[in-house]
Amino acid sequence: MAAALEQYVTTVQTLSSQGNFTALVEFISKNMEMLGKNAPHLDNVLATLDYQQHSIGVMGILVMKLNQQSIPDFETLFVQIQEFITSCNGEQARYALESFAELCHKFTLQIVERKQPARGLSILVRAIQKIQLHPAQLTSIHSDLCQLCLLSKNLKPALQFLDVDITDISREGGHYDAKDFLLYFYYGGMIYTALKIYTRALYFFEMASSTFLFAVTTPSMAVSHIMMEAYKKFILVALIVQGKIPSLPKYAPQIVARYIKPLCQAYHDLANAYATNNPAEVRAAVTKHSETFTRDNNMGLVKQCVTSMFKKNIQRLTKTFLTLSLADMANRVQLSGPVEAEKYVLHMINDGEIFATINQKDGMVRFHDNPEKYNSSSMLLDLDREMQKCIKMDEKLREMDREIAVNPQYVQKVSGIHDEDMPASSSSKGQSF
Amino acid sequence: MPLPLQQGLFQAVEPMQVDGAPEENDNVEEEPQYTVENPSLDLEQYAAQYSGLARLNRLMFIADHCPSLRIEALRMALNYVLTTYNTNLYGIIHRKLQEAAALNSGLPDAVAGSVHSVPPLDVQWMETTAKKAAFKLEKLDTDLKNYKSNSIKESIRRGHDDLGDHYLDCGDLSNALKCYSRARDYCTNPKHVVNMCLNVIKVSVYLQNWSHVLSYVNKAESTPETESAKEANLTTQSRLKCAAGLADLATRKYKSAAKYFLQTSFDHCDFPELLSPSNVAMYGALCALASFDRQELQVNVISSSSFKQFLELEPQLRDILHNFYDSKYASCLKLLAEIRDNLLLDMYLAPHVSSLYTQIRNRALCQYFSPYLSADMRKMAAAFNTSVGALEDELMQLILDGQINARIDSHNKILYAKDTDQRSSTFERALAIGREYQRRTKALVLRSAVLKNQIHVKSPPREGGQGAEMSIAPGSASSARN
Repeated sequence: MAAALEQYVTTVQTLSSQGNFTALVEFISKNMEMLGKNAPHLDNVLATLDYQQHSIGVMGILVMKLNQQSIPDFETLFVQIQEFITSCNGEQARYALESFAELCHKFTLQIVERKQPARGLSILVRAIQKIQLHPAQLTSIHSDLCQLCLLSKNLKPALQFLDVDITDISREGGHYDAKDFLLYFYYGGMIYTALKIYTRALYFFEMASSTFLFAVTTPSMAVSHIMMEAYKKFILVALIVQGKIPSLPKYAPQIVARYIKPLCQAYHDLANAYATNNPAEVRAAVTKHSETFTRDNNMGLVKQCVTSMFKKNIQRLTKTFLTLSLADMANRVQLSGPVEAEKYVLHMINDGEIFATINQKDGMVRFHDNPEKYNSSSMLLDLDREMQKCIKMDEKLREMDREIAVNPQYVQKVSGIHDEDMPASSSSKGQSF
Repeated sequence: MPLPLQQGLFQAVEPMQVDGAPEENDNVEEEPQYTVENPSLDLEQYAAQYSGLARLNRLMFIADHCPSLRIEALRMALNYVLTTYNTNLYGIIHRKLQEAAALNSGLPDAVAGSVHSVPPLDVQWMETTAKKAAFKLEKLDTDLKNYKSNSIKESIRRGHDDLGDHYLDCGDLSNALKCYSRARDYCTNPKHVVNMCLNVIKVSVYLQNWSHVLSYVNKAESTPETESAKEANLTTQSRLKCAAGLADLATRKYKSAAKYFLQTSFDHCDFPELLSPSNVAMYGALCALASFDRQELQVNVISSSSFKQFLELEPQLRDILHNFYDSKYASCLKLLAEIRDNLLLDMYLAPHVSSLYTQIRNRALCQYFSPYLSADMRKMAAAFNTSVGALEDELMQLILDGQINARIDSHNKILYAKDTDQRSSTFERALAIGREYQRRTKALVLRSAVLKNQIHVKSPPREGGQGAEMSIAPGSASSARN
């Protein structure tokens, strides 16, 4: 038995020093079973390997350890993984992305099971940075990080990744699970919602519920629960931000309309009630479906919807009135009284949602126009920045277009030479521009 | 029975307030139950303007909605129905009359003194009429068969028409429509086509099938006109316009309805099966008020010589039009409120009265404010016969709908016209569009990345669980990796 382990160590060392990582990955995947049999001795093996130079070999052992039915000494393993992820060679790790990702997934699972999510945050941040080619690349570890952030109620670490817009997806062993993708956007949306950055949250939920292409060939179309939950939250956040359900983009799969919408009847009822601008109806809808909302753990968001409804109504008032007494306002938007109305207006002024002043002497609110006259230097700077962003976007698109234009498969297709085994992706990519 | 409560509810929405947006047009609308208390209507004269089923329908409509005229209306309807073959309707009217009479005698103070005696149900008449009708039907049928076997086109057409007339007389509308439509294949000259169209239109109006009416109006109008009968031609033209106007009114297209009614010529307006000339004046004037702008009103209605003659029939409406045009809104609205009761007794107009009144009032409000930069709402309220608070609500709705570009100073009760800063709003829009562009592009890039990696949601092949592939509890975020 020990001989086999020694054999493993020497092979890892020689192949690593030769730089023949592809062969090494192959070797390790073949030897996984052997490692599993020798579980008790793995720590000794680890000691003989260098984290920096033999990253792939170490990784194999760590994955094996995590795969055990019960992990005898988690603390040691935790330290080992921490050390490995901080000091491993990213270059090497990228050769074995699949097992690297597996390592992270298993690790996350263990931490979650032990209810210590906060401990894993910095390690996963490190791990993502190690294997990303550039910051805009999505890896499957992203969703793990978001999950840990949510569980530990410490949302900041994920933001540095969420704030970057994804342009590329890391191919881990030629395979990226849809689940990780969906979870990333779903969790991301939840994180933004928790931080009340609603527009961004809306974007994430929209992505989670609509980006997906469904394999046309799959006989039974699949409904993902993540998509459904994302769609529910999408509705709620959309109500908070915009007061209505925006139509999903055209490319949203048919399935959203066909299967998911009927399952979210309660949410559509709420949206319809919201559209009437009548607080009483919204409340009725909330009471009627409160069981569903509570079961979906969305009650908090629903309550925010109700609040936002009052805000929307007050905002509507600003369009029609120059001055209005608080009592009148409370009456018009159906608040309990001038005091509550004052509270709402105060908050809204603070948040910059309306521009108004309250005269407490006679209880009048005076609405102002938007003081922004678009002539300050900072505004122009903002404008310029937005323009730059758009220009960058445009460049990116052009670049992608060029890539496609010179893609041999695409050229072949366009020039009419039919190729049987052309992957479907290139043709559909062509259409999307 | 005029319940006092019902009356109170009705009064509450009475003076043309801005009620909620009218529901989308439905041809068969559920009419709201309402009652009219004090109509100033001469039933005798009113009924004489119509003939055939139109008279019966109108009388019954009045009976349904106006308790004070109910018995009289039903009695007249009963008398009139005796001249037709419509035994079904006779039974219905008689039953209603009995109920109404019973209701009145039950409440002695309601119509004291005059205990209406209800003529007994004339069973014999019903039987003989039914027999006669059946006999006539048989005769017409055999005639038609004869014509058909001889295959003389003109006779067949007439046979169909006669059969249709007879069905109409018996109140069998769908069969009448069938017969009239069948005549279509045997029309040999344009005049017959127009005639056939008119017949179909008439029945379709009774059936309230407005799209049918419009399509046949179009058909009739596209038939090449015959030069010879100028007089008859103008009459048909007027009839067609009336029918089209009615159909548009029923489908809430008030503007085109107004245009159609305005095109009818007074001298040739003879369509007792459908409308009386005063109806044309009423419908036309109200629709025009509700949908025309000031200039259109002046050119097409007030200075229109042909429509003037119609308006002479309804002097109140003429005054309303002139008051509206002269910006005397208070008296205009007052007059409108006065004739409201009568309008509610018109079976075609009644469902639209409140929405027409709302539109007229909104138009008046907009017109009142249009020359001002700021307006005192107290004066405005006085000009519109309303309180400042109610006016504020109305104005708010109009501002939200974008009909008046203004803002309300609720403290000083002044309405200010709003000047929008074009520059700022342009900036705002540009920024919003920029952001939207970014958002979409990002989504696009992401999507192409997804496509490139061929990520799909597949139905779970493993384990065979019922969609257990990705079940997560949303809030707790505990996903089990399998």
